[in-house]
Amino acid sequence: MEIETVVSRVHPQWAIDIDHVGKTYMLDSGKELVAVENVLLRIEKGEFVALLGPSGCGKSTILRLVAALEEPTFGRVAIEGRDPAELSRSHRLGVAFQDHALLPWLTIWKNIALPYRVAGKTVDRQRIADLLALVGLSGFEKARPRQLSGGMRQRVSIARALVLNPDVLLLDEPFGALDAVTRRHMNVELQRIWSEERITTMLVTHSVEEALFLADRVVVMSGRPGKVVKTINVPFDRPRLPEVQRLPEFHHLADELTLALEPEGH
Amino acid sequence: MIRERLTSIIFGALGVALFLALWEVIGVNRLAGLTWPPLSQVLQFLFEPARRGLFLRAMGATFTMVACGYLFGLIAGAVMAALVHMVRPMRPGMDKLASVVHAIPSIALAPIFIVLLSREVTGIAIATLNVFFVIYIATTSGLANSTQAHRDLFQVLGSSRLNRLLRLDLPAAMPALSSGMKQAIPAAFIGAILGEWFGSSSGLGLLMVSAMQNFQIPLLWSAVLIASTASLFTFAVMGLLERFVYARFQ
Repeated sequence: MEIETVVSRVHPQWAIDIDHVGKTYMLDSGKELVAVENVLLRIEKGEFVALLGPSGCGKSTILRLVAALEEPTFGRVAIEGRDPAELSRSHRLGVAFQDHALLPWLTIWKNIALPYRVAGKTVDRQRIADLLALVGLSGFEKARPRQLSGGMRQRVSIARALVLNPDVLLLDEPFGALDAVTRRHMNVELQRIWSEERITTMLVTHSVEEALFLADRVVVMSGRPGKVVKTINVPFDRPRLPEVQRLPEFHHLADELTLALEPEGH
Repeated sequence: MIRERLTSIIFGALGVALFLALWEVIGVNRLAGLTWPPLSQVLQFLFEPARRGLFLRAMGATFTMVACGYLFGLIAGAVMAALVHMVRPMRPGMDKLASVVHAIPSIALAPIFIVLLSREVTGIAIATLNVFFVIYIATTSGLANSTQAHRDLFQVLGSSRLNRLLRLDLPAAMPALSSGMKQAIPAAFIGAILGEWFGSSSGLGLLMVSAMQNFQIPLLWSAVLIASTASLFTFAVMGLLERFVYARFQ
C-alpha cells in the first residue's frame, strides 16, 4: 500500500486518482457520520468506470469529491496529478447530475451554450449543432426545459456536460428519475455517444444492468461506511449493441454484481 | 380553470360596481354629511373642460415625482441587494440599516428632507426611500432562491462569482423582484403625495391640501380619485408583468 501510494504521486499517469480517501460529516447531534472510508480507485485516461452501490453507500460522495464539490477528510483526490478544483476552474470538467439542473429561463440552445459563456469562450455553434444531433434533439433549440420530457432534459444535460470537450465526465445517476423503458433507451444512446467521444468517465448508478452495459470496469460499493467491495472488468467490445444485454456472459456478470451488492440476501 | 377565472372576474366587477353604487347612494342622500359628495358629482367636476389644465398639470408633477422616486428606489434597492449578496460581510449591517430606516415613519422624516433638500424633491426622496426598502428586501431574498443543484453546476463549470450573479442568482431572483416591484408601486405614490403635502408648489398632494383648507370638497375628492386610480392601475399593470416573469423564470 505504502509503495503504491508513493508511485502514484510520482507518476501522475492516472486520469483520476482516488487515493485512500475518507469523508466524515459532523452531524448536528455532534456525532460523526462516516460517508466513505479508505476508498482506493484509479481510473485510466479514456476509461469508463461505473460506481455501483445501494443508495446511501457514499458513491455520490465520491463523485462530489472528484468534482471538487466536497473536500476529502482523509486521503487525496487527484486528477492528472493535480487538485480536482483546478480542473473545474479551467473548465475541463463535465458533469450531468441526477437533477438535470437546466436553467428554466434559458432555451435548450442557450442551456447547452452556457458552459462557453461561463468560461468566457466564444460559442462554437457547430459544436452545439453536432451535439444536439448526437443526443437526437435537433429542432428543439428554441424550446424551454419545461416543454421537454424528462428523458429529453437529461439528454440536454449530457450535451451540456460534453460541449467543452471535457477531460473528465462525471455522471451522477443521470437517468435515475426515468422510467425503466426510457432509461434503457437512454443507456443505449449514452453508450453510442460515449463510444464517439471516449472521455474519461465516472458513472454513479444503482443499476447493475446500466453499469455493465456502459462501463469498462464496475466498482461495487457497500454502504455505511462506503467501501469498495468488488471490482470487475467488463469484457464486451465497443460499440456495444443492446443485444449485449442478452448474452449469457452479461447475465453471469450481472448475477455476480448483484451478489456483491447484497451478500446477506444470498 | 377558465370558469374559475371568469367567476372571479365577474365577482370582482360586481364588488367594484357595488362599491361605486354605495358611494353614490351615500353622497346623494347626504348620509355621511356634506363632505361626502356623490360619485357622479365628483366625476362631473373632474371632467369639466375648464379644469383639464389644472388636473393635467397636477398629474404631470405628481406622476413625474412617483416615477423618479420609483426608478431611483428600484435601482438603489436592486444594486444594494446585489452588492451585499457579493460582499457577504456587508449583509447583516445593511439589513439592519434598511429595517431601522423602514421603522421610522416617513412622515417623521419629511421635515428633515425639506430642510436638507428642497420642497420640490422631498416627495421624490420619500418615495425613493419607501421603494428602496421594498425592493431591497425582495431582491436579497430572491438572490438566495437559486437551487443547490444550479449552484453546484456553476461551481463545476468553474464560474466566477460575477458570472454566477449575472447568469444564475439574478435570473433566479426575477420572480421575487417582480413581486417587489408590484408592492413598491403604492409605496412610491405614498411617498410622492406625502412629500407634496409638506409644501410642494404643484401636484395632486398640493391640490388635496389646498382643497381641504378651502373646503373645496369636489376638488379634494377628485384629486384623491385620480391618485387612487393611477396607483391601482399601475399596480395592476405590474401584476401582469409579475405573472409574465413567474412564467418565464420558474
